Amino acid sequence: MADKKRYGFVIDVERCIDCRACLVACRAENDVEIPYTRIWVRDLGLKGEFPELSRTYVPYNCMHCEEPPCVDVCTSGATYKDQETGLVLVDQDACIGCGFCVDACPYDARHLDKTRGVVDKCNACAQRVEMGRAPACVATCLGESRLFGDLNDPESDVSKALKEAKSVQRLVTEDVNPGPNIYYIHGDVMESGVLPREPRYTAAETFWRKLAIPAVAAGVGLSFLGQAAFFTKQLLEGEKEFEE
Amino acid sequence: MSHEEFIPLAERKHLREKQIKKHNIANILTHWFNAGAGALLVLTGLGILFSPRLGIVPDIWLEFVRNVFGGTANLITFHYTVGLIWMAVMTFNILVGFRKYFIPFARNRMMLDKDDIEWLKVKPLQMLGFVKDKPLPPQDAYNAGQKIYSYVVVVGALLIGFTGVIMTFHQLVPWPWLLQWALPVHFGAMGMIIAGWIIHVYMGAVFPEEKEAFFSMFTGKVSALYARLHHSKWYWRYVTEEAEWEDSVLEKGRQLQEEAAGAD
Repeated sequence: MADKKRYGFVIDVERCIDCRACLVACRAENDVEIPYTRIWVRDLGLKGEFPELSRTYVPYNCMHCEEPPCVDVCTSGATYKDQETGLVLVDQDACIGCGFCVDACPYDARHLDKTRGVVDKCNACAQRVEMGRAPACVATCLGESRLFGDLNDPESDVSKALKEAKSVQRLVTEDVNPGPNIYYIHGDVMESGVLPREPRYTAAETFWRKLAIPAVAAGVGLSFLGQAAFFTKQLLEGEKEFEE
Repeated sequence: MSHEEFIPLAERKHLREKQIKKHNIANILTHWFNAGAGALLVLTGLGILFSPRLGIVPDIWLEFVRNVFGGTANLITFHYTVGLIWMAVMTFNILVGFRKYFIPFARNRMMLDKDDIEWLKVKPLQMLGFVKDKPLPPQDAYNAGQKIYSYVVVVGALLIGFTGVIMTFHQLVPWPWLLQWALPVHFGAMGMIIAGWIIHVYMGAVFPEEKEAFFSMFTGKVSALYARLHHSKWYWRYVTEEAEWEDSVLEKGRQLQEEAAGAD
């Protein structure tokens, strides 16, 4: 049996010209309604002095993390990390759109689709990948800045590109490192605008975890111990016939 | 529960055989429907709680229910479908039986009186082994503990139903915070009911002195002896009403006889 897959993106920052064809392709492939989007291109702004100018664009979408905070926080497992592909997916039939995961995502790569009442995000075009095609954004990328493939497979495009790359960066900080599976090559992207934030947890989720669960556990536990004590007593003393 | 009351043996035997009706068929059917739906809902509901941050349900159960129902989405669909059926049937029962069953039940069997308050003060202490010699005040058809638990169930069920509807029809809810709070409230209300439910099952089905209560949920009847010892207020009212009814029948019979004699 083959090893587990670890699908991920490699993005050659040097090759991105901010044409945003990937945004259009994504919207078309996945029926993402305006004003929502599953993919962005961040502009890090002009650097240097004339005539030595440079400008970096950072294509950006769900990082399909190794330890995704969004999956941890999802009540029902509607958001899950696919065992076979390693992709982080949303089962929108199971999602109730509470938005715990939207707050938890350190990359703000998720949004709440209010018309459908569910959370939506990049699924790496799992429907295409399943059929052996590249995600829409990758297939459409004019400069071949975007690459997609199995990072566990040394023969894949992404693995080869990483091997040959002059520089490789991932968007992580000392405090926040959920193991993102987008690798940026050939450019410096480590800037505050695109670096991850701490996962946020909503008041309701904190209340549930810190208050409701201990309270219920204490109540049910005490009640169980109480009846267990009486039951033990009943067993030890034997049952007194009620009628005598 | 004035267990110490002295009743001569011959009378005890007589009382043991005499059956009196405690639950009507509406109560019995509603009770078992509620129990069945509740069991399904608790088991599937706990199975939904996948989040490792919550960490309250063992993985084996989370996987088991997903395998049985074929995935999270189907599991949730089953859960809310049973929930909606439960709410529809309970609402239907309450509305259809509003005058005949619901109002009398709420008025005669759920209200707390002075004796109940006293019972609530004495009983917990006795259970912990104090004030054993203090007599317990007489109790109605349900004792004060049962009455208190019935309030917990009513409040809990309303909270569960309300938050459940919110989550079922999440597409129509424009505020994420409402869905976010519906989750812990749904869970907390369930926990509140389960804590009391453990005592309910133990007292109803296992505890030797209350065994009749368990069978009465099928037959609707308890022995007069049980009623007199455990629910004396209700028992004596029942006996009084029965006697008054018999008196009125006798009176009517005499009148008929007199009229018949006069007509001759």
